Amino acid sequence: MNSTPLEDQVHDALHRRVDPLEHSPLTVTDVRRRARRIQRRRTIAAGAAVAAALAVAVPVGLAMNGPAQRTELPPVTRTPQVTGPVRIDPRSASIGEPPAVSLVDTTGPSLIASGETVGIPDAYEQITPYRDGWIATVKDEGVTTVQVLDSAFGLEDNVPDTSALTVADDGSRVAYAYYDGIRWIIVDNDPTGERAEETTPLPDGPLAATVRTVGFLPDGELVAAQVDPADGREHTFVVTAQGSTEPIPGFTKAVSASPATGMVAGLIRVEGAESCSAVVDGRARTDGEVWGTCNQQLGPFSPDGQHLVGLADIPDGPSPTLTVLDATTGHPVIDFEVTPARDRVVGILDVVWEDDEALLATYTDGNQQYVVRLRLDGTVERVAGPVTNDDGTVSLRLTAGAS
Amino acid sequence: MAATLVDMGSQDSRTDKDADFSAYMTARQPALYRTAFLLAGDHAGAEDLLQNAFAKLYLSWDRIRDREALDGYVRRIMINEHNSLWRRAWKRREHSTDTLPETGAHDSYDDGADGALWSFVQTLPPKQRSVVVLRYYEQLSEAETADVLGISVGTVKSQTSRALAGLRVRAPRSLNPYELNPHESGDDAR
Repeated sequence: MNSTPLEDQVHDALHRRVDPLEHSPLTVTDVRRRARRIQRRRTIAAGAAVAAALAVAVPVGLAMNGPAQRTELPPVTRTPQVTGPVRIDPRSASIGEPPAVSLVDTTGPSLIASGETVGIPDAYEQITPYRDGWIATVKDEGVTTVQVLDSAFGLEDNVPDTSALTVADDGSRVAYAYYDGIRWIIVDNDPTGERAEETTPLPDGPLAATVRTVGFLPDGELVAAQVDPADGREHTFVVTAQGSTEPIPGFTKAVSASPATGMVAGLIRVEGAESCSAVVDGRARTDGEVWGTCNQQLGPFSPDGQHLVGLADIPDGPSPTLTVLDATTGHPVIDFEVTPARDRVVGILDVVWEDDEALLATYTDGNQQYVVRLRLDGTVERVAGPVTNDDGTVSLRLTAGAS
Repeated sequence: MAATLVDMGSQDSRTDKDADFSAYMTARQPALYRTAFLLAGDHAGAEDLLQNAFAKLYLSWDRIRDREALDGYVRRIMINEHNSLWRRAWKRREHSTDTLPETGAHDSYDDGADGALWSFVQTLPPKQRSVVVLRYYEQLSEAETADVLGISVGTVKSQTSRALAGLRVRAPRSLNPYELNPHESGDDAR
């Protein structure tokens, strides 16, 4: 190591500080006691995950009034090829092509991407192609870390204290936020590496002022949200192409944005167990609603921005229904419902758009999980599963963006 | 009778594990404690970091085949735990109190230039501090540091460079290599 005087001084200062210390304060008994505590905590955490999954479970047969009764909006005027809700039954559904997005099966763990299945070293929360390899997230004790991986999933870079990844449907943009010890920084990346990485540092603040990326807008803009640690509320804002930030008022929790139309969807009000959601024009930077609903929670926009996912208003639990909404009016285009069971939790955990006409959804039935493809023409296919999961977590993990 | 044999086998294996683990702890505790102290900045924090790291090592003991890698494993746990403790402390400060937590007991220690520099090292963000401890105390190479921290060599370089830049800014003039030339400083010349 070629040292500068300052490096030598740091070396000397550290050694002089601790070299005289000859402390051995711990006994094996101390360590075993701490080990038992850690083990107990891990067991409790695993049990809590299962309990949480069961606590949100609503007996599906009782909870569903039928999607048609849940909305007071006028009847659909667009692509009404199917009347009545389409039943999703992954057991009897035909087997479809592999997904066009990345799918992690944590039971391997393995990754299905570009039609191939490969073993992976970690059960990534998300993973998508990036440069010559991959970008992924892992979660440990609530802390999300972004990992940049080579083509063989070898670790190239590791960024702890991050948000989840936001990936454009066509895979052309990947965004996330990370904390550098002083402030949160938003990263908007071109996965091909042709465009330079764009970083937007936010004002200095604590880690608790958590930032997450929400979605992309046209013209290189990005929607993100930051928690105010003083009251725990989230504030939604746009990161402009010039790197400035401009607030979008009105959202309690922004959920998605459309780079095709500039619309932003999310929760605007939560009262007890009920919530209301709305779509606003993200380019206008006002809270003027294009339309709203208190019957469903909104999900991702289709790649062309014409449709939007609506899920049953059940906080943090699997949804017994999935409605594709017209993004400009909120009118339902097609309703899907799960196959209910009296003694098991059945529902939809996660949804991503595969293309303008098809969605991929993670479907849970008791301890079995599947990925199903739901087309706007009412077709249902089984894409993956069943896999068995007894710990209440998601075993089949979809990441938006072409793989 | 079979059950008794199984129990005895299990007890033997536990005794072996404890003996091995105890031998490792005895041999390595003072050195690892010093690293823990540099990360935590005080004795209470160092003891907590090290106890946690040893406990996690104990739980994984049977799965670690490469005994040469044990120190690295403990260091990595301590660094992760240090960052996480720091995170929790910050959250506590943000939500429940305006006063900073106690910084722990201090040894009698030279308050001269080394003391000043040490106090500046303690103000570095946790990741930069971890890199400084591994590079300049443990004398690990950039690649070894990257391996312990699970980051790229490029990130080690940038974190090191930021840490040194931060120390240069905060350090007293006598520690600044760019201001050591007495001809450039009337005060120093005197």
